[in-house]
Amino acid sequence: MATLVIMPRQGQSVESCVITEWKKKKGDAVAEGDVLFSYETDKSSFDEPATVAGTLLAVFAEEGDDVPCLEPVCIIGNEGEDISALMPNANAEAVPVEAAAPAEEKKEEVKKEEVVVETKSADKDGMMKISPRAKNLANKTYADLSQATPTGPNGRIIERDVNRLLDNGQRLTPEQYEAFMKTGVAPAAETAEAPISAAAPAAAPVAEYEDVKLSNVRKVIAKSMHESLSSMAQLTLNASFDATQLMEYRALLKQNAEAMGLNNITFNDMVLFAVAKTLKNHKDCNTHFLGDKMRYFNNVNLGIAVDTERGLLVPTVFNADKMSLNELSANARTVIKAAQGGSISPDLLSGGTFTVTNLGAMGIESFTPVINPPQTCILGVCNITRRVKQVNGQDVFYDAMGLSLTFDHRALDGAPAARFLKELCTNLENFNLLMAK
Amino acid sequence: MPKSQYVDPGKVFEPGFISFKDIPVCQYKKTLAEEKKIYTKDDMMRIYHDMRVIREFETMLNEVKTKSAYNGVEYNNPGPAHLSIGQEASAVGEAYALDMNDFSFGSHRSHGEIIAKSLSSIHKLDEKEVYDIMKEFLGGTLLSIVEKHMPSSDIKELAKNFILYGALAEIFARTTGFNKGLGGSMHAFFIPFGLMPNNAIVGGSGPIALGAALYKRANHKPGIVIANSGDGALGRGPVLESFNFASMDQITKLWGMDGKYPDGGLPILFNVFNNSYGMGGQTRGETMGYDMAARLGAGFNPDMMHAERVNGYDPFAVIDAVSRKKELLLAGKGPALLDVVTYRVSGHSPSDSSTYRTQEEIDAWIAADPIAAYKAKMIKGKVATEAEFAAIDEDIINRMTAVMKLAINDEISPRMDLTKNPEAISSIMFSNERVKSMDPSREAEMLVPKEECPRVKEIKGKIRTATDENGKPVSKMKMYNIRDGLAEPIIDKFYDDPTLIAYGEDNRDWGGAFGVYKKMTEAIPYHRFFNAPISESAIVGSAVGYAMCGGRAIVELMYADFMGCAGDEIFNQMAKWQSMSAGILKMPIVLRVSVGSKYGAQHSQDWTALAAHIPGLKVVFPSTPADAKGLMTAALEGTDPVVFFESQRIYDKGEEFMAGGVPEGTYEITMGDPDVKKEGKDITILTVGAVLYRALEAAKTLEEKYGISAEVIDTRSIVPFDYTKVIESVKKTGKIVIVGDAVERGSIMKDMAANISELAFDYLDAPAIALGSRNWITPAHELETAFFPYPDTIIDCIHEKIMPIPGYVATHNFSDVEKIERYKMGV
Repeated sequence: MATLVIMPRQGQSVESCVITEWKKKKGDAVAEGDVLFSYETDKSSFDEPATVAGTLLAVFAEEGDDVPCLEPVCIIGNEGEDISALMPNANAEAVPVEAAAPAEEKKEEVKKEEVVVETKSADKDGMMKISPRAKNLANKTYADLSQATPTGPNGRIIERDVNRLLDNGQRLTPEQYEAFMKTGVAPAAETAEAPISAAAPAAAPVAEYEDVKLSNVRKVIAKSMHESLSSMAQLTLNASFDATQLMEYRALLKQNAEAMGLNNITFNDMVLFAVAKTLKNHKDCNTHFLGDKMRYFNNVNLGIAVDTERGLLVPTVFNADKMSLNELSANARTVIKAAQGGSISPDLLSGGTFTVTNLGAMGIESFTPVINPPQTCILGVCNITRRVKQVNGQDVFYDAMGLSLTFDHRALDGAPAARFLKELCTNLENFNLLMAK
Repeated sequence: MPKSQYVDPGKVFEPGFISFKDIPVCQYKKTLAEEKKIYTKDDMMRIYHDMRVIREFETMLNEVKTKSAYNGVEYNNPGPAHLSIGQEASAVGEAYALDMNDFSFGSHRSHGEIIAKSLSSIHKLDEKEVYDIMKEFLGGTLLSIVEKHMPSSDIKELAKNFILYGALAEIFARTTGFNKGLGGSMHAFFIPFGLMPNNAIVGGSGPIALGAALYKRANHKPGIVIANSGDGALGRGPVLESFNFASMDQITKLWGMDGKYPDGGLPILFNVFNNSYGMGGQTRGETMGYDMAARLGAGFNPDMMHAERVNGYDPFAVIDAVSRKKELLLAGKGPALLDVVTYRVSGHSPSDSSTYRTQEEIDAWIAADPIAAYKAKMIKGKVATEAEFAAIDEDIINRMTAVMKLAINDEISPRMDLTKNPEAISSIMFSNERVKSMDPSREAEMLVPKEECPRVKEIKGKIRTATDENGKPVSKMKMYNIRDGLAEPIIDKFYDDPTLIAYGEDNRDWGGAFGVYKKMTEAIPYHRFFNAPISESAIVGSAVGYAMCGGRAIVELMYADFMGCAGDEIFNQMAKWQSMSAGILKMPIVLRVSVGSKYGAQHSQDWTALAAHIPGLKVVFPSTPADAKGLMTAALEGTDPVVFFESQRIYDKGEEFMAGGVPEGTYEITMGDPDVKKEGKDITILTVGAVLYRALEAAKTLEEKYGISAEVIDTRSIVPFDYTKVIESVKKTGKIVIVGDAVERGSIMKDMAANISELAFDYLDAPAIALGSRNWITPAHELETAFFPYPDTIIDCIHEKIMPIPGYVATHNFSDVEKIERYKMGV
């Protein structure tokens, strides 16, 4: 009895998914658990394993196709079996990807499309499973392990998987390879075209440019950013606050983290905490602008902008205002990690009521963050700089942290936004008192 | 089962009675006046002197153990000291009657025997002989120390210093001891004086001494063998097995072969120093039922082992008894049993608080002290004066103090320096010699010339390959098989080495339970090739004693499972004596064990791991006729103990691998060298034993159905083992599964997997996997496919643990979850 494989629905909000790679061709033998194809939603990517063993008899979507959730993707059965009953429609025959099609061209395409890479053999902890032998081979050949399809037991990359990469010319430059092995993040842009030869590393001709197709995630980001700026009336307010107390408090936390069983609480966590608390007094900023109406939220669902190897993702910490600093820190960490690991549920990538984005670590002193619609505000966190102020006629140096608040002037006016920012600064300057509130 | 002996139903049921003779109990009744006619004053004073030396030696050890000082000299000795204070008259009496040709074996409590027999030997040898022995021993190291630090112009006085120093240095683990400090208190010995190894396993010397007697009997050597033990040892199976083995009828009835060879029983005296206690268990009245130990003799042969009970507190009574037994043994009337009643005033060891006996009892025995009583008797009988005895005592105490100072001097008597020379012990674990004949001075005794040996003739007519020139399988009857591969070098060695003997259950006539010795009976005389009683301990233990004396032996245990019955002999004796003797002893023994199948839980076990676990044993497991021949040749040519595994599944196999077939003439394989039986490039399958053929089937399927090329390597040897070839293969394939029929847990496959992971980690594409049988009992033959690794098990294992094979569907569960679950359950 043949089995129809449908596009799974990953999360309530997902309508369709794009097939990024077929791991099996029509006519291939399939064992239970074999990955049939990889696919991605607008923000996450997944592998679809076979739930039955057999032969891949029919395929209804090609790589790059956007397949509505719960629609048929392929059929697994016994060779020669009648599968007409399972065929999605009469002209299905025209659709399937031909297994016999020359592989070369397709692989080329696949490679170029997959600029946003991920470590597919990563387990839950993000550790790459690879045999010593496969690793040695990769070390010598700079095979692009980020592209490897593990076929060893328990998702382990084994020698044959590296050989497949090499056969496909999927190699990195030595520098890229080193960076990948260090960080686990593969360079998004160029992969080395030609096999790296140790004898003549510089010999490879450098192309003037390279066209790289946009990934699904990039497309989504592009669309939403453009919509945001073109449809809203955004403007940004800049302010700074004396971060002395914040820094002292953090030092105190750090000192006592182990004894108190606290997380490693970051400045960002503290800002998130202050935002969540401050928003309680500024309902205008915790809203969705829905064209003909405003939606005021009673809870603060904080969106956190995360830079991932796949692009910008904004996971949400729900009910952040109800959390202690430690709880908020833990929750933020969990969603950030999930977003970075590519394993985040699409449901956690929406539902935010206010977003915080942090470029402080990159030394940004002020910027104009772009609102994530239909939210109405986004707070940019900037770096800490040394400033001077007068206290009792004396010049006093202090550490100032910059904040950039972008708001949608359609939804609220400058004054309420400025009031929110001012109170936020006050709360951050007097973090000890905020903790008492 | 000799055909010459007819089991007659008309006779076996005849009525009658078994009658016993009286066993003499302390019947020595000579008076001093009569003794004076036998012994000179010198003899009598020497007896006192020797007893007194033993007493002082052990008193010193006791002082050191309990007070960390003797006669003002401080020392701490952490090692054991099982003393025999009270038993000196027995030891001296026995030694008095023995000479250098008489071998004595002892127990953990044998300091007295060592000293007594050494002193007796020094007395009996002339000065030159004594000096030459000392000079030759361990390159003269001990002699030069004694000559320098305890010199004497009197060679015999020097010799006394020599043996006391050598024994004490050994007890204190000094390199200048008799065995370089590797034997210690319980294992000290000195072969030049006929002092054979003493044994820390109670009764351990029983079968070993039996083997020494076999050596004397089979090689027509002079002298007798004494197996000294305590009464506690009489509860040990190996000792009782040895009584029976030594008594077996064939020795007197069949071994002479109608006058062709010298006749007579085994020249062995089982001498029990009966001190009433086996540690704390009181043998008479508590842990035994024999009432008197001498009674045991009545159970073993019609001569009742010439058993006798004598007063061990009277040295003259012991001399009298041992002399009479020795005479019997030399006349071919052995074996004999002596129950020498004595008492150990000292504790079992210095930590013994004598909770099992009363102070009253100890005091009574101290009052009866044999040395004091002897002295009193001599003074009363006017043999010597108090002053003469006092002079002897003083000399002994001074000598002992000097010996102790010398033995604890770290400069003169250093311990083995394992920091400077970390491989010092490695170098003596095996002797690694190649000796064609253990006694080239003699011709081997054989019944027919080699070319007339029926087995040699049969093998000559056989085809030495599994298939003929047209690739057709050779018929079973015509094919040279593994049995022949084993037999060929064994027969050769019988003709080359006159000391070689082979025995085990059903070896003669039957030809070995699995036919390896078929048609050899006609060529080899009985005393070199015989059926042993079903006494595995005695079989292996006697081989150890046989080898210690300079002979070579092949013993067979039929099934590998029976190694359990000979545990001590294999693991503590055969394995350890070369190194415990600091390389003085050689151990050329081949222990043949056969791994069964079809016969269930107690007849199907591959125990290679047990043998390999014990340092000092070589272990091989060939699977082809050529390898069987090559490894048997190597085992027989060497001087180390080899546990030779065979498999009953494949005795019939012909040579499938070696082009040109099994080589004729001498063919030897270097032990430890694995062999690539099939080349491949994708995965390595390393096999242990008969599973080779199932691995080859798996390799065939992998190749034909899945395009995976497997390299199959046969380990052939287990200890020693050269990993080079295996590592090379793994470098090529990156994957390895090690397969054997032993149960997986703790198997040699596991051990090898760990080593390969360690040695080839960077080349591995998957963990090195050990595949053995399930951790169960071996089920019935019909269920064996679920238990032993078969080709499908091997492929399943590769598929699930090493490299998933596209399109392959496994039937065995090798998942991690399952493994954890099984280990959690202990299966």
